Amino acid sequence: MSKRRDSKSAAKLVQKQLAAERRRKRTMWTSIAAVAVLVIAGLIGWGVWQSQRSDAGPLVAPATATTTTGPTVGNGPVQIQLYEDFICPHCKDFENTSGSAINELVSDGKAKVTYNTVAFLDPASTTQYSTRSAAAGGCAADGGKFKEFHDALYAQQPAEGSAGLSNSQLISIGASVGLNENSFGQCVNSGKYKPWVASVTDAASKAGVTGTPTVAVNGQVIANPTPDAIVAAVNAA
Amino acid sequence: MSVTTLTNGVSWPGVRPWLGTVVRLGLAAVWLFAGAAKVGDLAGSGRAVNAYQVMPFEVAQVIGAALPFVEITLGLLLLVGLATRVVAALSSALLLVFIAGISSAWARGLSIDCGCFGSGGQLAAGQSPSYAPEIARDIGFLVLAAFLVIWPRTRVSVDRWLESTT
Repeated sequence: MSKRRDSKSAAKLVQKQLAAERRRKRTMWTSIAAVAVLVIAGLIGWGVWQSQRSDAGPLVAPATATTTTGPTVGNGPVQIQLYEDFICPHCKDFENTSGSAINELVSDGKAKVTYNTVAFLDPASTTQYSTRSAAAGGCAADGGKFKEFHDALYAQQPAEGSAGLSNSQLISIGASVGLNENSFGQCVNSGKYKPWVASVTDAASKAGVTGTPTVAVNGQVIANPTPDAIVAAVNAA
Repeated sequence: MSVTTLTNGVSWPGVRPWLGTVVRLGLAAVWLFAGAAKVGDLAGSGRAVNAYQVMPFEVAQVIGAALPFVEITLGLLLLVGLATRVVAALSSALLLVFIAGISSAWARGLSIDCGCFGSGGQLAAGQSPSYAPEIARDIGFLVLAAFLVIWPRTRVSVDRWLESTT
């Protein structure tokens, strides 16, 4: 083996090592860049969500409701908590089968019902119907016609995936159940109770409610809320 | 793998970078769809995280807001093929977290939707959770990510372009 060949292969080896070093550095920097971009993306998400929340306006509760719960109907000793979304088809089924039993419990003075009208299903309409309709429900509570408006909305429930009912349709439904068209309409159009709907929805999620309808009697969730099961739970409470 | 030649002399080393490109684009599509489905409803995304009941609600909201943006970014990085190995490794880690979360929801008898592709984590009444298919699907995605961790060099990628310029 000649000296020349030795130095040639040594030079090759150095070349190789330099190339490997460059590759290592390049991989390191692209990796760091990728991780940094991912962290920034996460922070952007957080920022977007924060600004969405603060843009919504002040949190005020409508009549008979609190900032974290829905309008309450009746004044019986037993507390029924309902979690409903105005666009949820199962909630309409629930209202059809159990609504009259609940109405009876209220009119008999046995129970009061809190209608936590949550907006779980905003993506199920193209216009955030869940939020808009629940906020309109708050306006109806202010006008003293929450239950009438609630029942009318379920009777005219729009299909999932549709645009839902427009604000002007909501307003004319309100007028048809006896709400003042001007003040109710102004309340609906201004979106006054949208922050309240977001707050009630958050509170429901925080309480572990993951689906609508959910029915609880004195804090106890009824797994299969048939009319009989609800009446039995109220009588037992 | 003992297979060195596939058919008609098409070699595994020759095919692998192209197969890697397909895998990379497939995983990119998964993240882009998953992120896009959630990004329009960040509050719902937070509720979906909260539905697993593994962290306080306030933390779940922040994670839920950040997650769609991270998923979309993972998708974009895979789409262009930048830092493929690290991005695939992070994808694997995230998928393992998802699989662990779904498994634990199953084990605890929770009745939730995984919220993987939007839908806010809630199940409609009478609808039963489908944990097994959700886990199987995530394991499938995990296989894609693992492929890219093992063989990160793929065709039509920024990684490859950078290699050729330096």
